[in-house]
Amino acid sequence: MAVIVVFAPLIAAAIAGFFGRLIGDRGAQLVTCGAMILSAVLAVILFVDVAILGNDRPTLSLFTWIDAGDLVVDWALRLDTLSVVMMATVSVCSAAIHVYSVGYMSHDPSIPRFQSYLSFFTFFMLMLVTSDNFVQLFFGWEGVGLCSYLLIGFWYDRPSANAASIKAFIVNRVGDFGFALGIFAVYMMFGSLQFDAVFNEAPNAAKETLEFLGIEWDALTIACILLFIGAMGKSAQLPLHTWLPDAMEGPTPVSALIHAATMVTAGVFMVCRLSPIFEYAPDALAVVVLVGATTALFAATVGVTQTDIKRVIAYSTCSQLGYMFFAAGVSAYGAAMFHLMTHAFFKALLFLGSGSVIHAMSGEQDMRKMGGLWRLIPITYGLMWIGSLALAGIPIFAGYYSKDMILESAWAAHSGVGQYAFWLGIFAAFLTAFYSWRLLFLTFHGEPRADHETMHHVHESPKVMLIPLYVLAFGAVFAGMAGYHYFVGEGRAEFWRQSLLVLPENDAIEHAHHGLPFFVPLLPFVVAIAGIAVAYLCYMARPGLPAEIAGRFRGLYQFLLNKWYFDELYDRIFVRSAFRLGYGFWKGGDGAIIDGLGPDGLAAATVGAARRASRLQTGYIYHYAFAIVVGVVVFVTWYLLRSAG
Amino acid sequence: MPSFPLPPLSPALPEIFLAAASMALLLFGVFRGERAAREASWLAALALVVAVVLVLGGGGPRQLALYGMFVTDAFAVFMKVLVLLGGIFAIVMSIRWNEQARIARFEFPVLVLLATTGMMMMVSAADLISLYIGLELQSLSLYVLAGFKRDTVRSAEAGLKYFVLGALASGMMLYGCSMVYGFAGATDFATLAATLSGGETLAIGPLVGIVFVVVGLAFKVSAVPFHMWTPDVYEGAPTPVTAFFSVAPKVAAIALFLRVMIEPFGGYVADWRQVIWLISVASMVLGSVAAINQSNFKRLMAYSSIGHIGYALIGLAAGSKEGVESVLIYMAIYVFMNVGTFAVILLMRRNGEDVEAIDDLQGLAQTHPALALSLAIFMFAMAGIPPLSGFFGKLYVFMAAINAELYVLAVIGVVTSVVGAYYYIRIVKLMYFDAPKPAFDRPFGAEMSAVLAVTAVVTLFFFIAPSVVVDSAAAAAASLFPG
Amino acid sequence: MIVQALAFYAFSAVAIASAVMVISSRNPVHSVFYLILAFFNAAGLFVLLGAEFLAMILVVVYVGAVAVLFLFVVMMLDVNFVELRQGFLQYLPIGATVGAILLVELVFIFSAWAFGGGTLAAPAPDPTEIANTHALGNLLYTRYVFAFQAAGLVLLVAMIGAIVLTLRQRVGVRRQKIARQVSRARAEAVEVVKVPTGQGV
Repeated sequence: MAVIVVFAPLIAAAIAGFFGRLIGDRGAQLVTCGAMILSAVLAVILFVDVAILGNDRPTLSLFTWIDAGDLVVDWALRLDTLSVVMMATVSVCSAAIHVYSVGYMSHDPSIPRFQSYLSFFTFFMLMLVTSDNFVQLFFGWEGVGLCSYLLIGFWYDRPSANAASIKAFIVNRVGDFGFALGIFAVYMMFGSLQFDAVFNEAPNAAKETLEFLGIEWDALTIACILLFIGAMGKSAQLPLHTWLPDAMEGPTPVSALIHAATMVTAGVFMVCRLSPIFEYAPDALAVVVLVGATTALFAATVGVTQTDIKRVIAYSTCSQLGYMFFAAGVSAYGAAMFHLMTHAFFKALLFLGSGSVIHAMSGEQDMRKMGGLWRLIPITYGLMWIGSLALAGIPIFAGYYSKDMILESAWAAHSGVGQYAFWLGIFAAFLTAFYSWRLLFLTFHGEPRADHETMHHVHESPKVMLIPLYVLAFGAVFAGMAGYHYFVGEGRAEFWRQSLLVLPENDAIEHAHHGLPFFVPLLPFVVAIAGIAVAYLCYMARPGLPAEIAGRFRGLYQFLLNKWYFDELYDRIFVRSAFRLGYGFWKGGDGAIIDGLGPDGLAAATVGAARRASRLQTGYIYHYAFAIVVGVVVFVTWYLLRSAG
Repeated sequence: MPSFPLPPLSPALPEIFLAAASMALLLFGVFRGERAAREASWLAALALVVAVVLVLGGGGPRQLALYGMFVTDAFAVFMKVLVLLGGIFAIVMSIRWNEQARIARFEFPVLVLLATTGMMMMVSAADLISLYIGLELQSLSLYVLAGFKRDTVRSAEAGLKYFVLGALASGMMLYGCSMVYGFAGATDFATLAATLSGGETLAIGPLVGIVFVVVGLAFKVSAVPFHMWTPDVYEGAPTPVTAFFSVAPKVAAIALFLRVMIEPFGGYVADWRQVIWLISVASMVLGSVAAINQSNFKRLMAYSSIGHIGYALIGLAAGSKEGVESVLIYMAIYVFMNVGTFAVILLMRRNGEDVEAIDDLQGLAQTHPALALSLAIFMFAMAGIPPLSGFFGKLYVFMAAINAELYVLAVIGVVTSVVGAYYYIRIVKLMYFDAPKPAFDRPFGAEMSAVLAVTAVVTLFFFIAPSVVVDSAAAAAASLFPG
Repeated sequence: MIVQALAFYAFSAVAIASAVMVISSRNPVHSVFYLILAFFNAAGLFVLLGAEFLAMILVVVYVGAVAVLFLFVVMMLDVNFVELRQGFLQYLPIGATVGAILLVELVFIFSAWAFGGGTLAAPAPDPTEIANTHALGNLLYTRYVFAFQAAGLVLLVAMIGAIVLTLRQRVGVRRQKIARQVSRARAEAVEVVKVPTGQGV
């Protein structure tokens, strides 16, 4: 069953990709959607079986991949709770988005390619979450990166899309480099890349040290931080977050699937998966908390000022990922995974909803040119409300349960970084509510700011786009309620079993259930309401206020609008110097030295030698005979000298 | 007066049969006159086929015959079959071409038969004298064949050049033989091996003798620097003769090379390896570099064969059982690739005239797709692209070199095969990517198509059942190493 | 013994001297004559070795046939040897150098001569017991029968080659067709015509 879940998307991708022209657009859509729905249904069954009913399933070894000396790596499907949670989340979201794409991409000329990429991506993502060793994890990791690159640059005739895809790829390279180094470090320390072997050995390795640059480092900490750098790249954490907003150049379903629901959460998944190692590296966990909390606040502040509807949601994603990381960092892995799952639903819902808006607005993404849409597309409007409520963490909606749990855990961790994370998280929660409603008000309320032509064409999306939205909305409303007991509540021990490891003294969730001050559970809700109120004030009651504020705090506003100048900074420091270096290498190194001495030079030398060699062939018999005699003399002389010497 | 019983002749039955058949064919031709060429050719091919059967039937344990001058063993059987195959292909391919070139005469197949007989004697030689006689029988027939198209200057020039230089090389070799005899006091390989054994290194006298023998043999296999005749003779000789030159004598000479170096002098691999190493490297380098500038396909094939011999000699330089095995495999593969390529060259006729320039192949894929495909197969195989047969040939040879710790030799081999791939694949590029030239004359003839099909299939699908060749080559190589 | 030694050195010296003259004399006809002289001296050496059959064969075959054939060729072809030798001086230095090196090396090698193990392939039989020709025949048709027969094949090839490369059926050449001449009947050769008198033919 697990095999079908993982490989159905691959087969569908192959069919749609290679035979797209043969089976046509409709055929490609049917194949990929059918395979994905099948995969999703089976994944949910698997989820119920393993996670809820508690049936252990052994790791499924498919075949040996690498067998070189000590290094043995299998293709395997690891089916513990953590895996099946991810499988269910990924495949359900993916199935919904596949179906949604049928409507959204209906006017695109290369539908089979798009559907094929989507399915291909899903396959890699499933490989990633079911891996049972580091190498397969890395395989899936790189695979989703590749698909992300392909899909961001799907409209390859747009220069901005190409630039964005390259940026995403290169920034991820930085993270992946860290990840690869982390894997090397793990192999060096444990001599194996199998999760089980490494996890069993981890407690013993806790005190090992590693000498680098003449300083003794804690080996496990180094390895974990390196691995976490990989997670930072993939999950768009500071300072490797810059690619995510730009990635919105891709089609909206891609943003929903890859850059909200699944791929970007791979980093969180990885930290959870490796919890048996991270638990023994408290310093690394502190780093995780710091990075996560800082990102959560940073992204929220930037989200406040953005005007592109998708970018707002992108920064929101970035911020929510920060929540997940600091949850993992305070050892509340269950909470992190819980938020990961609920976030997948409501963020996909928001993205697809915004996609529906963009679809209705004939491709317009700037919120300043929207407004007054709520009467025209009421269903989308309602769904966006659900998504926003879930995101802001309003009770009964999914986000409430997971986000509150995270904040409570951070408080309950009783550590400096935990406090840091808590207060930043609270502030970010306020901003989250603010920008969410800013988005809603700007888009759906007020006077229509679009031109008459566009407004005339505004229409509700077709059923094929709305049905997936209903599915996701259902998840966004009920996933929190339904999952609370299992993920972070009383049932969490039976639910996670061996797949997560939390040392007793680190168990923040346990602490969060007992004896918190009364204001801690209340505060997130209060700030959320406050955020909504401020947004109402600014964008409904007194529409002039935001401009006034922006005018008064011009410096701050510019700072936020320009995303804390990260892009400019990177451009100065890395991009330009890399360009200069690359240009130098290209002209000087590659052109002059390598080409000159290498391919070109060798080729020229060979041709010259060829000309000389054929000139030897004079055609005169006595020249030929002379060559023979000279050959004889050379050989005889050689042997004489050898025997003499 | 002592009585001498007739020695058992059965080990030499194939040779005796071929000699008798060639004389019978000669009589047949003389009585039938000029019109007999076609029948004589088919009969000669038939005789060669019968000889193959006799050779295979005579296979078995090692057997010395004719007072120790003649030997049959698995090695001889393997090489003789290759030689005979080369002869059969050459005769079959010559029929139509000779008629078109107006040189269809019955002496042609007779000379091929006699040359083949000589080669088989070389393969079976167990004595310096029979070695030399076999070599001369072969060479003399080939000199005549090279000049067979006597009305064209180039053919006559080819025959003369080959003759003069061949005589020089024969002289060198004979001199070497006499030196070896002088120092060792024997001419048969078994006694030589016994007399020479026991030293750390070979004395300088016999060693220089071996050098001279090597020079003569290297001339026959056209290894650098004794290769100079090859391009001129290949280009000048009638194309079927060139096709014959490029396979059968090469196989026979390599066989002789292996036997001479391994049987009597096998104990001193470290001594003579240096010469082989040097000519192997020189051949590989020249074969790959000098071919780049050629515009004539036959000349190109001359350099190509020089290069191939260089690769085969790698296996000899290894001097091990594995090395010999790799040479045998290489030669077996080489025969099919080369015959196939020459079949294509033979078909290159436009308006009744031979065309031999490489540029004449431009756009062949459009005018003759099947022909282009088969030539592409041969070219890729010669370049050593897997999974075609040529790749395996090189693979085994390089592996033997690595196991004999001849790393430099293997590296040079790999580098030169990269350079060589340039001109092979350039031909494929010409055929598939350039604007087509006018089509070649049709029809090609059933026998040519058959030769092409057989060689192409063997080259393409060698990898399916390589064990046929590899196993018998292993057995053949083992028979050279007693004990 | 001293006589034999003197004869050996005399024959050898003349043979070498005439061999040098073969390649150095300006007139090709002289070259051939020097060649004949060299052959004769070689035959003399054979006699000294007790190989009188070989000595006679050398005289009969080489002097009587081969050298005479050479002479015919040289005289008939009228090759301008002076012209052929024009490049000689140009290549002399390098050719001489290489030749000299080889010579020195070979001398060096032969100085290390040791007849391997004292074994002779086929020691010459005592001439008092068995005639020279007889002994050779015994050897040629037994131990070396293979080489002997194969050498026959080589000669056959040479014959075929000579014919193939030189024999031409020229058109327009009138040849004697003996068979036709012999089988000709009177009727086709002679026509008897009755000529009526006074009318002319």
